[in-house]
Amino acid sequence: MSRRLPLLAVLAAAWAVAVWLLWRSSLPAYHLRPLDPRTLFSPQVLHRADDYSDGARLLWLGNVVAELVVLGVYAIYGIRFARESAAGPIGTGMLLGMLGFGLVWAAQLPVGVLSVWWRHRYGLDGSYVQATIGNWLALAGAFLFLSFALAIVMGLARRIGRWWWLAAAPFFIGLAILFAFVTPWLLGGRAYHAPYVQRLERVEHVQHVPVRVLDGFDEPNAFATGLGVSRRVFLWRPIVVPPFTPRMDEFVLAHELGHLAHNHIWKSLAWYALFAFPGAYLIALATRRRGGMGVPEAVPLAIFVLVVLQLLQLPLQNVISRHLEAEADWSALRATHDPAAGRQLFELFGSETLEDPSPPWWDYVLLENHPTLLQRIEMTQYYRTYAAAQSP
Amino acid sequence: MNTAMAAVDAHPVRLVVEDDLERNRLTVFFRLILAIPQLIWISIWTIGMIFVVIVNWFVTLIAGSPAPTLHRWTCAYLRYGTHLNAYLYLVANPYPGFTGEEGEYPIDLKLPEPGPQKRWKTLLRLFLAIPALVLASALGGGFSVGYGSSRGNGGTRYSAAGSRGALSLTCAVLGWFAILARGRMPKGLRDASAYGIGYGAQALAYLLLVTDRYPDADPTAMLHEVDRPPEHVVRLVGNADDLRFSRVTVFFRLLLAVPHIVWLLLWGIVTVFAVVANWFVTLFRGTPARGLHGFITRYVRYTLHVYAFVYLVANPFPGFTGEEGLYPIDLVVPEPTRQNRWKTGFRLILAFPAFLVSAALGYGLLVAAVLTWFVALARGAAPWGLRNYSAYSLRYQAQVNAYVTLLTDAYPHASPLEGAPEPQDDFAEAAAA
Repeated sequence: MSRRLPLLAVLAAAWAVAVWLLWRSSLPAYHLRPLDPRTLFSPQVLHRADDYSDGARLLWLGNVVAELVVLGVYAIYGIRFARESAAGPIGTGMLLGMLGFGLVWAAQLPVGVLSVWWRHRYGLDGSYVQATIGNWLALAGAFLFLSFALAIVMGLARRIGRWWWLAAAPFFIGLAILFAFVTPWLLGGRAYHAPYVQRLERVEHVQHVPVRVLDGFDEPNAFATGLGVSRRVFLWRPIVVPPFTPRMDEFVLAHELGHLAHNHIWKSLAWYALFAFPGAYLIALATRRRGGMGVPEAVPLAIFVLVVLQLLQLPLQNVISRHLEAEADWSALRATHDPAAGRQLFELFGSETLEDPSPPWWDYVLLENHPTLLQRIEMTQYYRTYAAAQSP
Repeated sequence: MNTAMAAVDAHPVRLVVEDDLERNRLTVFFRLILAIPQLIWISIWTIGMIFVVIVNWFVTLIAGSPAPTLHRWTCAYLRYGTHLNAYLYLVANPYPGFTGEEGEYPIDLKLPEPGPQKRWKTLLRLFLAIPALVLASALGGGFSVGYGSSRGNGGTRYSAAGSRGALSLTCAVLGWFAILARGRMPKGLRDASAYGIGYGAQALAYLLLVTDRYPDADPTAMLHEVDRPPEHVVRLVGNADDLRFSRVTVFFRLLLAVPHIVWLLLWGIVTVFAVVANWFVTLFRGTPARGLHGFITRYVRYTLHVYAFVYLVANPFPGFTGEEGLYPIDLVVPEPTRQNRWKTGFRLILAFPAFLVSAALGYGLLVAAVLTWFVALARGAAPWGLRNYSAYSLRYQAQVNAYVTLLTDAYPHASPLEGAPEPQDDFAEAAAA
């Protein structure tokens, strides 16, 4: 153990340096007196958002508990399903993995249906078909990916033994890069033309990035994805129609182009890489007593450990995500010079999506992957001061 | 796979096949036109039967068994329908009588005497019969009960459509050409069609309160008096008695198969090139290349494993390699042997009729799989009859695959009965000893 300590120290230091490099951003350090949500949102909106968010949090908890209980029990008894396989060790492992997530789907189904009912209660859109049959189809995709992943992991574990994680982590990082590169071409969408697109691209130094509108979504949202030539910005249809105004859309687009301008896709992949190695190592460590990932007996435990690790890293993941989103907001403010549009946009998000402007701390830690609406409005206020100071 | 091993007690509605496969070309050529008077007659009879069945339903519900007179009428109607079906589908040669007499036709029904029936089954008969009728519609039953309406330009039109059923209809169309050419109905097509008609008769007998025993889809039980065909070089092997199914894997069956379907697709692309290469080799050398033969055999076997899993013929999750002996339902494929060059050259064209039969069987297979899914989910075991029908369907598809991919030049045999091994040559055995 003592001989390994220097190596571990070097690895930890390298990890820390990578974190420091990735954390750096163009975001200014600022501190404003916290705003009072009652001055920004009507009591009715605040009340509805508060009530709705309480239920949504409970449903999230229900989902997590269902997942953990099912996979916990499955980690102990799941191996019994090995007798339903004639597929050899790797095929059996794939079956066990798929069954585990299939049972989680079944356990979460009532929560999914309840979620839709809860959204309808507050006048939000949601589809029961999507929550049931739609998720069933999504499960098919998940099964396919899971089988592929398990085939790789178990194949590596059977070939190179306990060090499989060293080979598996780069493989999955490569796969994530491939997905990030290919996804924009798979999503389709229709072209979005607005007079400000080219100007924003010029200001953000991300030219020739197609902007596309995706139909079939209920919520106002947008995202940027892709690497190099595949970079795209996607706007969900509700955000390009009233009550959202062209000024707000310009702000949204500037925010998404900000992600691309600051290489957030690459940075996200790098963050993923930083967590992939220790994550894979911990799974290897946890499954060692069951014979390692080369045998199907380890699979139920491995997926339980994976889900627990994902849950544990959720706060860290949210910190990183909020940091990137804040930088994109700042980028949008600098590109549009329109803090009023940003503020109106975030205020409208409050009434349209019933997002809680100031959620409780545990919600902030576990669930919020964007800055809160209040924090985002605070930033628009800070920008006014900043812009005033910058102007001659 | 010997599905005759686990014998169940015989179904009270039994199909009798005393047909010698000989056909008259002239009557076959005009078969549909010749049947017109019969179709008119069965339409009229069907209208009368609607009232008979309703009265009989009340009687059976109250008294616990059908009224003897009404039962006799229903039996005559059923028998006549079967005779007519057999005539239309070329399963039998002679022109049937109009009365549904027992023993007057080569394809006949043995029907039970009126006996006690469970009242709850009688009460719910119409709903309980739906799955069997759906399967019968895929196979070949549902004659004039399919009396219905269709809206066209001339308003509502009523038709007693005679017989329907993908399997029997396909066999009849193919049989029509074969008979005109050879004067004989091919045994495989006759057996398949007779099976469809027999199942349809059982389904109808259940619906019309002749018996409260549910129709049995087991082809071996249906045709147990019929001679088995010679053993095909491509055949299924496995443990026929294992009907146990895991409810969890049944519930997620289709999703669990997704990786296999993707793998099958990718492997299939490579196999297409392998088959084309093997086609050239077989055409010039007369014998397939051993390496290609082995590769394609694995693919065909893997296809069978995946289909057996998806269509609920077997329980375990299959492997991805198509290896022999690892799956409960397995395929015996011959070693590469000399093949007729003519058959090789025109293989795709020759396979066309087999494709049609395979597609018809596939429709029934889909219905059987859906029904098996519900039963297996409830009972944790597949129904014997449906499983055996599905195995028959898979066996035929495997034979078609083997034929198309040049693993053998033996044409697929459509008979639902498994082939009988060649009789042992006692003299040769004694000499060898």
